[in-house]
Amino acid sequence: MTLNEIIEARDRAFQEAEAATDAAALEAVRVRYLGRKGQLPQIMACLRELPPEQRGEAGRLANEFKQGLVERLDNRKPQDTTAAAASGFDYTLPGTGCKPGTVHPVSRVIADVIRIFGRLGFTVADGPDIETRYHNFEALNTPAHHPSLDAKDTFWLDGGGLLRTQTSPVQIRVMERQSPPVRIITPGRCYRRDTTDATHSANFHQVEGLYVDRRVSLADLKGTLACFMREMMGPSVAVRFRPHFFPFTEPSVECDFSCHLCGGSGCRVCKHSGWIEIAGAGMVDPRVFRKVGYDPEVFSGYAFGMGVERIAMIQYGIEDIRMLYENDVRFLEQFR
Amino acid sequence: MKVPLSWLKEYVAVEATAEAIAERLTFSGVEVESIDAVGGTYDRLVAAEIIEVAAHPKADRLKLCKVHNGQGLLGVVCGAPNVVPGMKVVLAGEGAVLPNGMTITATRIRGEPSLGMLCAADEIGLSKDHTGLYELPAATLPGTPLVDILGSPDTVLDLEITWNRPDCLSLIGMAREVAALYGLPLRRPVVEYPETGPDVSTLTDVALEDALACPRYTARVVQGVRSGASPVWMQRRLERAGVRAISLVVDVTNYVMLECGHPLHAFDYHRLGGNRIVVRRARPGERIRTLDGVDRVLDPEVLVIADAERAVAVAGIMGGEGSEIGDSTGTVLLEAATFDPVRTHASVVRLGLSTESGYRYERRVDAAGVDWASRRAISLLVSEGGGTAARGVIDRYPAPVDKRRLWCRFDKVNQLLGFDVPPERVRSILESLEFSISAVRPDALEVTVPTFRNDVEETADLIEEISRVHGLDAVPTVVPVAVRVEGADDPATRARERVRQIMVGMGFSEIMHYSFLSAGELDRFDRDDAPGRVVLPNPVSADFDVLRHHLVPQITGTLGRNYTRQVRAARFFEMGRIFRKDPLSGGLSEADRIGIGIMGPASGSGLQGKRAVTSEAMMLQLKGAVVALCEASGLSRVDLAPVSIPWFETGWGFEVKADGNPLGTLGLIRGTIRKIWKITEPVGVAELDLDPLLAVVGTTRRIQPVPAYPAVERDVALVVDESVLHGDIVQTIWKQAPKELIRVDLFDIFRSEGVGHGRKSMAYSLVYRSTERTLTDEEANGFHEAIKQGLRTGLKAEIREG
Repeated sequence: MTLNEIIEARDRAFQEAEAATDAAALEAVRVRYLGRKGQLPQIMACLRELPPEQRGEAGRLANEFKQGLVERLDNRKPQDTTAAAASGFDYTLPGTGCKPGTVHPVSRVIADVIRIFGRLGFTVADGPDIETRYHNFEALNTPAHHPSLDAKDTFWLDGGGLLRTQTSPVQIRVMERQSPPVRIITPGRCYRRDTTDATHSANFHQVEGLYVDRRVSLADLKGTLACFMREMMGPSVAVRFRPHFFPFTEPSVECDFSCHLCGGSGCRVCKHSGWIEIAGAGMVDPRVFRKVGYDPEVFSGYAFGMGVERIAMIQYGIEDIRMLYENDVRFLEQFR
Repeated sequence: MKVPLSWLKEYVAVEATAEAIAERLTFSGVEVESIDAVGGTYDRLVAAEIIEVAAHPKADRLKLCKVHNGQGLLGVVCGAPNVVPGMKVVLAGEGAVLPNGMTITATRIRGEPSLGMLCAADEIGLSKDHTGLYELPAATLPGTPLVDILGSPDTVLDLEITWNRPDCLSLIGMAREVAALYGLPLRRPVVEYPETGPDVSTLTDVALEDALACPRYTARVVQGVRSGASPVWMQRRLERAGVRAISLVVDVTNYVMLECGHPLHAFDYHRLGGNRIVVRRARPGERIRTLDGVDRVLDPEVLVIADAERAVAVAGIMGGEGSEIGDSTGTVLLEAATFDPVRTHASVVRLGLSTESGYRYERRVDAAGVDWASRRAISLLVSEGGGTAARGVIDRYPAPVDKRRLWCRFDKVNQLLGFDVPPERVRSILESLEFSISAVRPDALEVTVPTFRNDVEETADLIEEISRVHGLDAVPTVVPVAVRVEGADDPATRARERVRQIMVGMGFSEIMHYSFLSAGELDRFDRDDAPGRVVLPNPVSADFDVLRHHLVPQITGTLGRNYTRQVRAARFFEMGRIFRKDPLSGGLSEADRIGIGIMGPASGSGLQGKRAVTSEAMMLQLKGAVVALCEASGLSRVDLAPVSIPWFETGWGFEVKADGNPLGTLGLIRGTIRKIWKITEPVGVAELDLDPLLAVVGTTRRIQPVPAYPAVERDVALVVDESVLHGDIVQTIWKQAPKELIRVDLFDIFRSEGVGHGRKSMAYSLVYRSTERTLTDEEANGFHEAIKQGLRTGLKAEIREG
């Protein structure tokens, strides 16, 4: 083995390293020169046989050869993206051990509502599901012959109690124990004897809000609901009022928001009207204030209520309310 | 309520389109549910007379008819069962286009020529009736265009009238609204008729025994009324308003009810015992067969209209069969009355009888409007029925209603609405709704409320009237001002949110169930807990007749239902309310719980997904989740104690205690329950009281400094009998531990022949640390040896060395 032979071998090896196009070819070059039976170990073994005056130069050349080749091979490697990377790790395998659960859409909506109204200074209030006739109806100015009291609409219980048909009795309970100002929202479960279908459920959730202070107006209500709807459905959403009737508010309104999907031009979701009904609301009826000992000459207030399931269905495009209580994994796992 | 626009326009000359009117009404508080086009131009549809009917030679169900269309005879093939000679019917001639789009051509049907079609009611868009040919009045002349009989095309608004506005349940009531919205005058029909009969008091009498239940009762009599059908124009209006035409007298009462909102009832004068009326409570057990053909047993809570002998009507709701108007009626006693809404509603509910009349009386009918309604009906019976009106009226009205007066302060209006309505606008709106202004002050109006607006009781009600007519578009959108409220931090809400986060972080998905389920579902889990359940007296269905008193059945059912849909692994939790009845006192209570349910392996990927889960592995998953939830919430020292619970497998049910206090239960669902869904693998379910968790979660805890000196770890493996629990070993270790022992971790359980039958090897890692200095090996070894010795003597454990 001469110095020239080493130089030739080196140049050939460097060329081959440059020419190799895939991992297999690179590996072949590595084996041919750097492998246990490759050329470089052979060269190293031959060094001893060279004349002493050439050994130094040959050793330097051999090292240069080895380092140069390793460097060239390494430089080519990062471009290699196949599975047979150096470690052999199949990085496409699924990870293990981490699969967070999901929050139910009804809980998500309630949490959003609490967060948005919380920033406006509303506190959460809760009450029992089993209510008295007084708190659910009488104190809310609903006369005994109003059809909502009928056994066909309300779940009456033995002993005269009932399953609350709205979360409004919580408003009464709060006003009974607290003087104005009052700023509360009341998320909770309600019950009505509706036959279950795609949009009705005998068991559903409501969030109601109540604000009582001096000089509260219908304009304040509209502003607050507009603010809420924009936070919930998007910044371009507008609200409008339609007059309606509820026993516990006067004036009473129904509140629509401009369709968040079509922007009001009309689509399937808003039934081509451009508007979606979202809340019942109004100014608290003075007869309700008198029941809880507030002076309607001094205080005024607004109240509103909306269906949580309805909001969830609008937000997530759920077409059947029963899906929310079916608890099918294939439905729930979409709420990641 | 259905409002035909052509009828409405008789009372208010509104020229806007149906769509525009509907929009205005919707934004003034009357929701328009639909706008329906009715009728048509009925081109080439004429009246025809059936002259001859013969069998079709080739089809049993078809008939060959000769009909006269006013110009001549033509042959038409017809399949209707009711076709008979002499009948007046609707003929669709060649080229006619029916409302459903069908074009009529001359054709042959099974070989016989047919030069048109005879129509059923559905084919000319009158109703859905297809049982036979639509029959025209016998007096109809053949050849009369159908449009002359049915009237020109019309539009019907279907309105939703809210409970507080019974005054809107009539054409005149709605016309009043439209007049106010469009600034037009309201035109009431003028009622005039001659009273040429005898004085009414010589014919009948009314005894009003309960003036609370019946504030006003009037009776008029009209004699010599012809029998038969009402005029076609009246029938047409009734039909378009959704009321079936029956006969002249009945139609007149219905017509006037739809016109002015006041229900009326016509009695056959000659069939009233004693020819007189008694308004009284029903006698106990008194019977009446109402006009719907149902025999009803009454009681004194029900108000009836009676004659001298028996009840002849359920007051305000439905008449009885004995006194109704028949074909031969000549003398009619007309009732116009008001009945108390509360009692009427109670009777409607009690008898399960909903009628147009009851619907209006439940919502209140204006006592002051009684006389107009009565006279209007009599005038129609005179003009359309040829009747002779008796002179005068019997009017029992002991306590006439007073008109309410309210002050309407302008500043109050503006304050409540949040924008200014000019005083003159306030006045004009109220006057357009027939409120009158009885006094004027610079800052307020005194408003006299019309008697038909009993819903307006205070200023707030007036403000609603002003706002809805003025238009709520005017309400500005005031940007809310956020305020800081003491205590608005909502610790309870945050605590729930935190518990939810802990569960979701551990891979559990939140589920939600109804608060009710069936007794059968509960019985599967425990047959003996029925006395503590809250049963619904009026459930929507038998599937939902009990309020849940624990969460386990629904969580198990949801796991099961998912299993039948090929889902093998699931981790669920529910935060829900449960309801209980105290079996002794009957008192009801409610509480919040958290339930946890697991099936299948815990892994988040499929790598271990096919391996069957052992009962022990499932219990450890479940216990792990429960303990982690408790500890993350801030409850320490969570222990299990074996307990027997009907829905858990024997030996696999446990009570959960935190700091010694019962918190709930956990265990593996019994195989007999699992097999409902054919689940062969273990299912773990836990249920805990939520309040103890919420009480501690999120509370701020004081933090210890991190240790300054390194720890020393020593392992110990010991062989013990299977009966020795891990808990026993840990307890033994801690019992004699030096203060330097800070942790004991189990890291291996090993069973083999070498270890011996009925025995197991348990390996622990013990960690020692001093708070004062670095421990030397010798010190650590000393502690460790002492503990080993304690295990040998305390548990007869064999310590494995090396």
